[in-house]
Amino acid sequence: MSSEPPAELLFRRRIGPRRALRELWAVREVVVSLAQRDFLVRYKQTFLGVLWAVFAPLTLVLVFSLVFERVADVSTGGAPYALFAYLGLLPWTFLSTSLSQGGLSLEANRHLLNRVAFPREVFPLATVAAAAVDLLIASSVLAVLFVAYGVAPRPTSFWAPLLFAVQLAFVLGVALVASVGVVYARDLRHLIPIVLQIGLFATPVAYGMEAIPSGWRLAYSVVNPMAAVIDGLRRTVLWGSPPRWDLLAAASLGAAAVLVGGYVLFKRLETGLADIA
Amino acid sequence: MRDGTLRAERLWKRFRSDRAAYGLRDQVRRLSERGRGGERWRWALRDVTVDMEPGDSLALVGSNGSGKSTLLKILGGVMYPTAGRLGVAGRVGMIVDVWAGLHHELTGRENLFLAGSLLGLRRAEVAARFDEIVDFAELDHALDRPAKFYSTGMKMRLGFAVASFLEPDVLLVDEVLAVGDARFQQRCLNRMRKVLADGTTLVLVSHDLAAVEATCRRGLWLQEGACVHQGQVAETLARYRQWVEEAAEAAVAFLPGDVRLVKAAVGPGPGDAHARADGPLEVALVVESDEPRTAAICLGVSEGTAAPAFVLRHQARLRPGETEVRCSIAHLPLPGGRFYVWVGAFDGREDVLPWQPAARFDVVGPGLDPAPPGVVRPAPVHVEATWETGARR
Repeated sequence: MSSEPPAELLFRRRIGPRRALRELWAVREVVVSLAQRDFLVRYKQTFLGVLWAVFAPLTLVLVFSLVFERVADVSTGGAPYALFAYLGLLPWTFLSTSLSQGGLSLEANRHLLNRVAFPREVFPLATVAAAAVDLLIASSVLAVLFVAYGVAPRPTSFWAPLLFAVQLAFVLGVALVASVGVVYARDLRHLIPIVLQIGLFATPVAYGMEAIPSGWRLAYSVVNPMAAVIDGLRRTVLWGSPPRWDLLAAASLGAAAVLVGGYVLFKRLETGLADIA
Repeated sequence: MRDGTLRAERLWKRFRSDRAAYGLRDQVRRLSERGRGGERWRWALRDVTVDMEPGDSLALVGSNGSGKSTLLKILGGVMYPTAGRLGVAGRVGMIVDVWAGLHHELTGRENLFLAGSLLGLRRAEVAARFDEIVDFAELDHALDRPAKFYSTGMKMRLGFAVASFLEPDVLLVDEVLAVGDARFQQRCLNRMRKVLADGTTLVLVSHDLAAVEATCRRGLWLQEGACVHQGQVAETLARYRQWVEEAAEAAVAFLPGDVRLVKAAVGPGPGDAHARADGPLEVALVVESDEPRTAAICLGVSEGTAAPAFVLRHQARLRPGETEVRCSIAHLPLPGGRFYVWVGAFDGREDVLPWQPAARFDVVGPGLDPAPPGVVRPAPVHVEATWETGARR
């Protein structure tokens, strides 16, 4: 018997975008089940339960208020600093949870990778979905802050869902890349917290977009769509103006590139996932 | 292709022979090796073809590491082949280990939906059959307790209950029969038989050859990733059993111990060439011991595996040097076929002569009557019987 298969028999997995999306749609309920599991497990048997979802951004607001408001004198366009910072921290926490949990989602479900046949992106998608529920819970604190400071959100807030959509695309892309990267090269898992730490200060979360030189803002929004999203949120919700369209377009471009590129990379590497799990 | 058809043509699969390490450094090293063509691979499947029509049942047998699970995973679409063509029509259900998807922090109820989802059931389907599944699993009292407080048996029942409500066109099952108590195993088998009766295509991996024989119509024996024999299950299993026995014989002539086996002979006694069903059989052993001791000499007869059809035990006093031990069986309760004598000696605390195959013999006589489908016949026993049927007087 020959010891190698003949070349014409070699298996090439061909999967176009339409088929990939159709297969993903077919398992949408698995995403829900896994997201539910991740969410339930995260807060089960903890004293504060889901309040932890609120706790993380809230402590950061407190720290930022102490440090940045007093020491660094950030210009908030007349809005209370806590509100200003919280509007940055909400999307940031969503990214941070999605990336840290989503990045490890394949690794954490390693035992399932060679037991179930559905598309592997359900694992990072489910963690992002669970993080989105956290975001929803944490957003309720925003209402409390508005009441506490006697401020009302501006009518232009209706742009917020658009900003969220841009961020979601970016977050999904990043989670896809990170999750598959961690399986193929374990070292990357140690890189995630470092990237997030640097990102928190490199992104206008605690401070405003003005801190970034005006000539750089457009390019920066492509590389880091979070900057434009957070800036847009503050403009629409706090200041009553529409988002900066040029920055948002740049951010959309960056986010779309990360999402599409990430998905293509993921589907390419997916074929071998069960072999190493 | 009709739903339930499974065609796998010339499947090959290779793994990295260094697949343990997946750090950044390993990947960089592999990249440089790929450049020099120095990558190391190990073939787990070589040119295996499986062709099944709806309703077929196939047993995969072979020693550990022979590629059974790899083949099953490729058929299930979990893993991709390196080479070959694969076509499966209809819904595929795969049960690898029944509690793979369970999470220990979640309650039974939450796990039920999760496990159902992971197996490919819609949430609505699980919800619609919720009571039935809980009934089947006998878990109604523990439904709101986290699974970490479940016993192994409870987890297994939960997993299997969900899996058994899956109604796939092709069902792939790996080693679930090996675990669980007798009642659970019988339930699995009954369920499997029902699934087959419904026209589901079944591929079963198991080391429990008796269960395999009871469930499947066809057999496929894999050895180092290659197909050795594929055909009627009885034929495949007979060849496999013989190989197991011969491999065991070849590996060690006689295993050493405090007591050594010097010679083993088995035959029907003087004046007869072959042992006959229900006829006499004589086993003659010569054992050697350095010191005087009392030991229980055990004799077993099997079809090939270490699990014997019956065991005979005799307390013997061994003198220093060689001792001859003879055992005469008046009526051999075996059907026609090839059998093996296993020998061991035990002195209460430990085995002084490890359990090992010692000799083989052929029996001439009628074959066994086939068991009803799905009923496991754990050992071949021939029983002389006469039947009478007639109108009731």
